[in-house]
This record gives sequence, structure tokens and C-alpha cells, in this order.
Amino acid sequence: MKEWKFAELIADPAVKERWERVRRYFFLRESTYDMTRRCNIRCEGCYFFEGDKQHAAETGDPEAWRALMRAERERGITYVVLAGAEPSLVPDLLQVCYQEMNLGAIATNGIQRIPESVGYRIHISVWGNDETSLRIRKAKHMLARQIDNYQGDSRAVFVYTFTPHNIAEAAEVAETLARQGCKLTFNMFSAPVGYSGDLRHTPDSLAATRRAMLDLLARYPHNVLFSTYNAVAHTHRLGLHDLFGCAYPRRNPSTDLGLGRSFRQYRTDLNWDREAACCVPDTDCADCRHYASGSAVVTARLFRHAVDPDTFTSWLDYVDTYLAVWVVDYAKGANLCAKPVPPPGFDLC
Amino acid sequence: MTVAIELDQMILNIAAIMIEELKLEDVTPETFEPDIDLVDEVGIDSMDLATVALVLRDKYAVRIDEDDYPKLTTLRLISEYIHRKLAARG
Repeated sequence: MKEWKFAELIADPAVKERWERVRRYFFLRESTYDMTRRCNIRCEGCYFFEGDKQHAAETGDPEAWRALMRAERERGITYVVLAGAEPSLVPDLLQVCYQEMNLGAIATNGIQRIPESVGYRIHISVWGNDETSLRIRKAKHMLARQIDNYQGDSRAVFVYTFTPHNIAEAAEVAETLARQGCKLTFNMFSAPVGYSGDLRHTPDSLAATRRAMLDLLARYPHNVLFSTYNAVAHTHRLGLHDLFGCAYPRRNPSTDLGLGRSFRQYRTDLNWDREAACCVPDTDCADCRHYASGSAVVTARLFRHAVDPDTFTSWLDYVDTYLAVWVVDYAKGANLCAKPVPPPGFDLC
Repeated sequence: MTVAIELDQMILNIAAIMIEELKLEDVTPETFEPDIDLVDEVGIDSMDLATVALVLRDKYAVRIDEDDYPKLTTLRLISEYIHRKLAARG
């Protein structure tokens, strides 16, 4: 089997252009922050309301957040993810964070619009059609309200979380979002530790989800921010940690480099716990296929993907997708590899 | 490439690669301090090191294992790592 040199892998001008484009963002160093303990809905399987973090004291003082953001910048953080429980309920704190750190994303349910002056990427969680949302999230007309708030907003990316029970309705939701000109990406339900509900994926639901993702990517290439390799990596029978080795502190004892060195997950009391630190705390690592996790875990594995043109371009598509999903104003390029390629060292499924 | 290459020369060669690949400014291979901490003092991180590792793989046909990145925090340590692997190959 041919051993490819890296110079050969980037010899194609289109590949070289993409490589040069994505590597400009290698400076991104993320941490995540729970902004408030409050939420305006209650969803089954919500990560925030698992584990201890929901009990942390709330910090509502904008100046405390300003001081934290400045300290974060000092220690090299360049990108913030504002989440838990529902950040749109504390717009003044979001504003302060944006003033101090200009790159980041907010994870919201989209019911309450975040002011335009907060220039972060905004991820709006979608868990199915309105019937499903009413059942799982106890919220009426969820998609229509989300679209009303964010249609035409260049910050917005709708994040459709696949469970075993909403695979078929993804087509209806994607069609609605595409018709309104909205951007969409995909997430996988990943069970919290100790979760015993029926949203945990099965081998059959993983295979069906992969088919649905690829179908929707083909149907709405201008709206769906995804790639074939994203679909493979997130619907494999093995979770992200088993496939790639999770680099977040919870699974990575090294404090010398990368996420193991810099990543923190702050709770609402502005403290953090290395033992619990990852992008979706309290997720069962063996079941983790979360889109946020993959964005770091797959992206970090550059070296092992630089083995042949298909594997390397698949990785480039993944990183290009990650940047389009997370960075405002980063425009996704056309995917370079439509062929399903297995993660290095594993089979395709 | 043979094992006869001197470590000092290798440090210069790898410094040139790092300067080129990571677009480091205000430094030349000759002025690149071999013992400066690349993470703490130069601001290099894991993706930068992976990029350098790929270029070094092309140049020396030596693979830097991903698990070894955290140990390679200076130009000298990287150079010694490559030198050692080349020497082991004979």
C-alpha cells in the first residue's frame, strides 16, 4: 500500500486551498460556560439538568463575567461556547462576554431571540417536528417560533438532534428550514450518564440516521452544513471516544497541550471541575456522538487522517463543516469527498 | 537522510520548517532558541505540532506518534526525538 507524503496529499490545488483555509483557524482555543440555571422549557434527556452542575450558584453580576472573560483571554482562550441552561434568558451577560471575547457560539432553544448586538454563532436546538417537540420538550409550535426569531439571521444554525424516534421526520423539518433559507446541521442524541430512557441510539437507528443525514445533505447542499465523513463519524457503532480518543480533560489526563491543557467547563458559579470537563458534561462517554464533541475530537486527529487522499479530504470536509457551524462568517466550501471513508483503523460502520 | 546528520544541523533544519510552516515572525533558524517552550512561550498548540509532524514525516520518513506530542515542547526535544528514531533505524 502506497505511503502518501503530506506534500502529495495537498498537491491538488483545491485541497491545498482548503487546507490553507482551515488551518488559519488552528488558533481557536475553546472553553464552555453555563450562563444561568434557568430555562423556559424542560426537555427529556437535557444535559444541563443531569449531574451536579444544575445546583451551582448563579452568577448574575455582569462585572464578574467580564473579569472571567478577561482572565480567560489571558490564559489563551480565544473562543467561548455559552450554554446551560438557557442563555437567552441572560442577554446582558451574553453582551458582556461578546465585548470581551469576539469569537464564540451560544446554544439556545431559540424561543427567545438573542439581541443582534451579540455577534456569536447561535445554535438553535431542534428535536423533531412540532408534535415531537410538544411531547419531549413540552413546548408548542417550537419550530415556527424558532424560525420566526432567526429566519434571515446570519448568526443562526439550526441543530437537529437525531434520536431513534425522529429520524423520519427530519426530512419534513429540513424541508421547512431549507424553504425559509435557514442553515441546518445535525447532532446525535448521546445519553447522559445513568440515562435509562428510550432516546439512546441502537445499531438500527444509527444506520437509519446515517442514511437520513446523507439523503438530506444531497437534497439541501446549500442549507445543510455537513459532510459524508460527519455522517460516518457520528453514526458509527462506536462512539467518538472509542474511534478517536477524546481530547477533553474528562478523558485526557495530559495537561501539556491542546484541550487537555486549556479547556474548562465553567458552571454558573464560575468554578470548574477538571474531572467533569468536556463540552457536554455528564454524557456517557461510551455513547458520546455529540456534534460539539466531534468538532474538537475529530478535528484534533489531523495526523492520523493524513494517510491517503480520501481520508485526508474527508477530514478536511469535517473541519470545514466544523468551522462553518461554529464560526460566524466562515462560509462552508463544497465537500471534497462524497465517498464514505472509515475512521482510520476502523471499518465503515 | 542518514543517521550521520548532526543534532545541531537537525535543530537548524527543523527550526526552518517550523518557521515556514507556522509562519513565525522575527526569528530565523539561527536565532530560534532550541530550549524555548513552544507552548508557553511561542504559543504553539496541538494542531500546529501535528502540522509540523506531517512535514517532518515527509522530510525524514519518521512518524511522530500522537501520544508523544505532549512531550515535545521544545525545538531541541523534537530534534532529539527525530534524531533518536533515525539512529534506531540504523
